[in-house]
Amino acid sequence: MFSGVFLINNVFAHHVLGRPSYSLGADSNTPPSMQVETQIGEYYVTYMAFPAFPKPNQNGRVNLYASRIDNGKTFDGEVLFKIRDDSWFSSKEEILGTQNIDDGVYRQGFVFSKAGNYIVTAEFQSGGEPYVIDFPLRIGEPGSIGPIGLAVFIIILALVAVNITQRRRLNRMKAQQHHRDNSEDET
Amino acid sequence: MIESIISFINKLIYVPDSGMVHPGLPAGWVAFVFFSMVVIALRYTFFAYSSSENVNSFHYPIFNKIIKRIVTRPWILISLRLFAAIVFLVVIYAGLFGTPIPEKNIATVLTWTIWWSGVVISIFFVGSAWCAICPWDAIATWLVRRKLWKRGNKTSSLNLRVPKILRSVWPALLMFVGLTWLELGVGVTVSPYATALMALLMVVLATISLAIYERKAFCRYFCAIGRTIGVYSTIAPIALRPVNEKTCADCKTLECYHGSLDSGIDNTTNAKGLANIEPCPTHLVMGSLTQNTYCTSCGACSMSCPHENVSWQIRGVADEVIHASRTTTLRGRVDEAWFILGLVSLTIFHGITMMPYWEGAIQNFAYTIGDSGQLLTSFSAGMLVSMLIPIILFVIAIKLTQQLIKTKEEYKRIFSAFALSILPLAFTYHIAHNLTHLVRESAGFWNVVFNPFGINALPLGMHELHMRHMNPLVADNIIFAIQGLLIIFGFWLALRIARQRLYQIENSKNSNNFALIPILVFIAIISFADLWLLMQPMVMRM
Repeated sequence: MFSGVFLINNVFAHHVLGRPSYSLGADSNTPPSMQVETQIGEYYVTYMAFPAFPKPNQNGRVNLYASRIDNGKTFDGEVLFKIRDDSWFSSKEEILGTQNIDDGVYRQGFVFSKAGNYIVTAEFQSGGEPYVIDFPLRIGEPGSIGPIGLAVFIIILALVAVNITQRRRLNRMKAQQHHRDNSEDET
Repeated sequence: MIESIISFINKLIYVPDSGMVHPGLPAGWVAFVFFSMVVIALRYTFFAYSSSENVNSFHYPIFNKIIKRIVTRPWILISLRLFAAIVFLVVIYAGLFGTPIPEKNIATVLTWTIWWSGVVISIFFVGSAWCAICPWDAIATWLVRRKLWKRGNKTSSLNLRVPKILRSVWPALLMFVGLTWLELGVGVTVSPYATALMALLMVVLATISLAIYERKAFCRYFCAIGRTIGVYSTIAPIALRPVNEKTCADCKTLECYHGSLDSGIDNTTNAKGLANIEPCPTHLVMGSLTQNTYCTSCGACSMSCPHENVSWQIRGVADEVIHASRTTTLRGRVDEAWFILGLVSLTIFHGITMMPYWEGAIQNFAYTIGDSGQLLTSFSAGMLVSMLIPIILFVIAIKLTQQLIKTKEEYKRIFSAFALSILPLAFTYHIAHNLTHLVRESAGFWNVVFNPFGINALPLGMHELHMRHMNPLVADNIIFAIQGLLIIFGFWLALRIARQRLYQIENSKNSNNFALIPILVFIAIISFADLWLLMQPMVMRM
């Protein structure tokens, strides 16, 4: 299983650590998976989500592999999985479960009732040091109106501010000109 | 003999044990490029300056009826801008709402594989034409000016002068470094969502800049893409220029600089341009324009000119930059020199990050310093070192050149003068590198055109990946030939410019060619580094 994961890694081209990448298994009947690789402290960690694009109320699974960078030895303690909503102004966090190693893998099942962008946190202890790793997980097709809304808001704000400032400036200039013209007429 | 050379070159090529990589230049081509460069270097070091090096530049204005209508009327340009803006909005929408699979979403495929790879290559053929239809500027202009192509009203912008501290290309260079960091470190290229955010950010920056500052400060000072296109386009064989130089010399009204009036009529001659056209966005006067660096090809000058005296001009490839190296004074444009040096460093850095061993090296470094997560600290350190090495070498080369010339010119003037000579190195390597992305990674382009949001799309399977890998748009040998010839051309042009700069500094045709050796060594090091990067296998981006 472990070597299978790294076989998939090799298929991937320019995978960037900490960035999700997507792959199909060698068996075309297997649904696509999403995986993220990262390096933390003494460990090289790979996280895989099945299916790659889980929908609300659909069963899914997270697989986590952790091996020491120096000697490749698999971590065999306990891993705590948590989940939190990654949307703005949300701090809701729930515990998914604590898992022990099973054939070199930590498996954690999940079902989400709401679509959204979530962060899965995996926590474990090794050598007296805490390890906390965050991975993204997208459920369904969440709306991404936030960035567009923010961009539109900033642009409108800037344009309105400029328009008001410039109108005031032009009115002031007109008034000054008018005042000057009147003064010249009087003299 | 030849076999042993080929065998030696093959030993320099790193072949990864596994993974998908694009093939690098074969040893035969590497040998050909290497010996061509040696011959060119000997010719420029040991042979005296000859009059045959004088520039016999040709320039031919294209001004037939069709071109005349295109450059003096706005409709074709507006149509292209509208098309680019619509595509750009589709990219943003697809990035935010489409599939996160990068190779199946039009946001990542079009932005990084097609546009960013293609735009650098396009400069070689159409100069700064991209800037004319740039959707960032087009959308910003429509939002701020609230006009499709004419001048905005007086309340649309504060029209402030750009603060003196920002009136240079330093902001553009910093933006280029930032974009490279986001592209290669954070991995924006493999995230449709992040690509869309970046696109939105650019529109916001262009809009705010246009609303606050006069003319188009974003294009002139801040835009990394625009400035890159600008400096590269000095090598391009096409540019907007006067049809008749005397007409410009006699012009008193300078509509190209000021824009046209309400009537668009020049009362002194009764000649007629279009009314209410914007002034030149980057403060250029067509009659005195000798370098394309800041021309955005927006067409305002050609539309506003009452004499219809501005059009596209065909000229020899690199004529402008060769001419500039002979005629421009040794201005203290240190910012432009640093921008060119930045381009040299960043293009090499792009190549390095796509070597199969880059990721392993960064991971090892991260483990040593205790870096975790996306390893951005380690990446940033690697980027800094990769950028500093060419910069330090150039600084040393210029110092040595200054001592060999025995001139009283200030160091920064010599630094700026010779920076022009390394521009071709950045440009030719950039094209050669991007060519690989464009012809080897764009195989799935039509799939994303027909399904831009990647609805129900699956990631690439092994078979599809291999098929793409094995079937580039252009045959391998053609790609290798173009890449090899580009490196030779860049090396030749760099040396030619360097020698003319030397001649200009010493102000003598009997210039001391040996004073050229430090800069020649620098040019050779960069060219061999480029060649070495091209001969290594390159990791597939998507």
